Amino acid sequence: MKAVHLLVLGLSLAGCATVQPWERDVLARPEMSLDANPLDAAIDDHIYFSKEGSSGGRGFGGGGCGCN
Amino acid sequence: MKETENFQTTLAAAACALLGTTLATRAAADEADKRWAFDSSLLYYGESDDRVQDISAMLSAQRSFGDERTLAATLTADTLTGASASGAIALDTPQTFTSPSGRAVYTTQPGDVPLDDTFLDTRFALNASWTQPLARLYTLSAGLGFSTEYDYTHLGANLSLARDFNKRNTTLSASVAWSQDDVDPVGGAPRPLSQMLDVGNSANKLGSDSKDVLDLLVGLTQVLGRNTVLRVNYSYSDSNGYLNDPYKILSVVDPISGDTVTRVPVGEGPTGVYVYESRPDSRTKQSLNAEVKHAFGARVLHVAYRFMTDDWGIDSSTAEARVRWPIGADSYIEPQLRYYTQNEADFYRASLVNGQALPQYASADFRLGDFDATTVGVKFGHRTASGNEWSTRVEYYQQSGQVPGDQIIGNQARREQYPDLRAVVVQFGYRFGL
Repeated sequence: MKAVHLLVLGLSLAGCATVQPWERDVLARPEMSLDANPLDAAIDDHIYFSKEGSSGGRGFGGGGCGCN
Repeated sequence: MKETENFQTTLAAAACALLGTTLATRAAADEADKRWAFDSSLLYYGESDDRVQDISAMLSAQRSFGDERTLAATLTADTLTGASASGAIALDTPQTFTSPSGRAVYTTQPGDVPLDDTFLDTRFALNASWTQPLARLYTLSAGLGFSTEYDYTHLGANLSLARDFNKRNTTLSASVAWSQDDVDPVGGAPRPLSQMLDVGNSANKLGSDSKDVLDLLVGLTQVLGRNTVLRVNYSYSDSNGYLNDPYKILSVVDPISGDTVTRVPVGEGPTGVYVYESRPDSRTKQSLNAEVKHAFGARVLHVAYRFMTDDWGIDSSTAEARVRWPIGADSYIEPQLRYYTQNEADFYRASLVNGQALPQYASADFRLGDFDATTVGVKFGHRTASGNEWSTRVEYYQQSGQVPGDQIIGNQARREQYPDLRAVVVQFGYRFGL
């Protein structure tokens, strides 16, 4: 837990200026979500899992298929 | 009233953006005034030269129960047909193979890379998850997954815990997933490195098998400024059990000519010597994935990079970029670009040499080979007056690979050994609330 706090502290010191709640207008836009299009992401993961030697990374992508 | 609603929606969306949004929480925020939110997709995936064709439908539903508690479920149906490369090399003469069922033969024309055209499958998958705050700053998510197809069954479970720090500018998450998959290949799983036999002879087939996979993921989401958010994930995946592709084979070739050693079938059967592939029964993969979203006014840039390495000797890099470009108030266009490159697995062999001792592991599966792949695509989306959104996405995918020079023997040099794979993806999406 100490390491976690150090990491968080490190990030705040490393120029990651704290954005205040009332400054969230842009980050709150739906398209700014890192998971804005989950079905697109799932489809891509599935195709690439079936055709390439790698999978996952974003989340638990690609599992549950006999295609690889 | 309208403004109040908008304000509430914005506030809820802001809260979710800080939580390292999941599908469920984001949708709950977007549709704050709706109890159910749906996302649907219809997909066509088609490879050139009559290879794999897939039509897939997905429906995702979320129900919010207030207090950021959400239930989400996704149902997928896939129908696959077409042919896929068997792993055998091309020859100047016709080649006949026994089909996976062991009950028929198929023949490949001279010069063609052998494709097994008996490929046909229908797959159904169901995933469900529950997300809720656990305490102030903590979010818990738990999910179950199930999928079934003719020769394969998957059962999985996952659990994820996220903690916000630093006025919710930083989110750390840890997730674990476990799955148990049963493989019941058509005609039985062949004994690794055993020869393809004549029709009706199943002495080398062993029946069904299974594997289990443990995935661990640690993620950091960091707001870098008013317009920028970063996420970095480290993931570790450990697979154990039956990891072969039961339908992949290797040609056994003459050490001088490089041509497949011929064989005279008794009745119907293979005209050359082919053996079934053999992969290790464990695989450990590690990957580091970083992605950034940055807003330039109304435009949003998304870039991502992933490095993956595994103990089969494969290293891969993936780079992706997308720009969401608004057109008017209700539409957008989003060009997408992806580049992928990997080197071959330690045990990748284009063919096996007759007379030499068989290696413990060998596979000629192109997906374990040395190749690059590029995807170019564009998506168009439009929000309707009622607040629903439809979209269309078109992508072109191309793989170009090569057999390592020291694995090319004799006549193989003048024949196509690693054909390009070209595929088109067309996807229609519709998001709506009830």
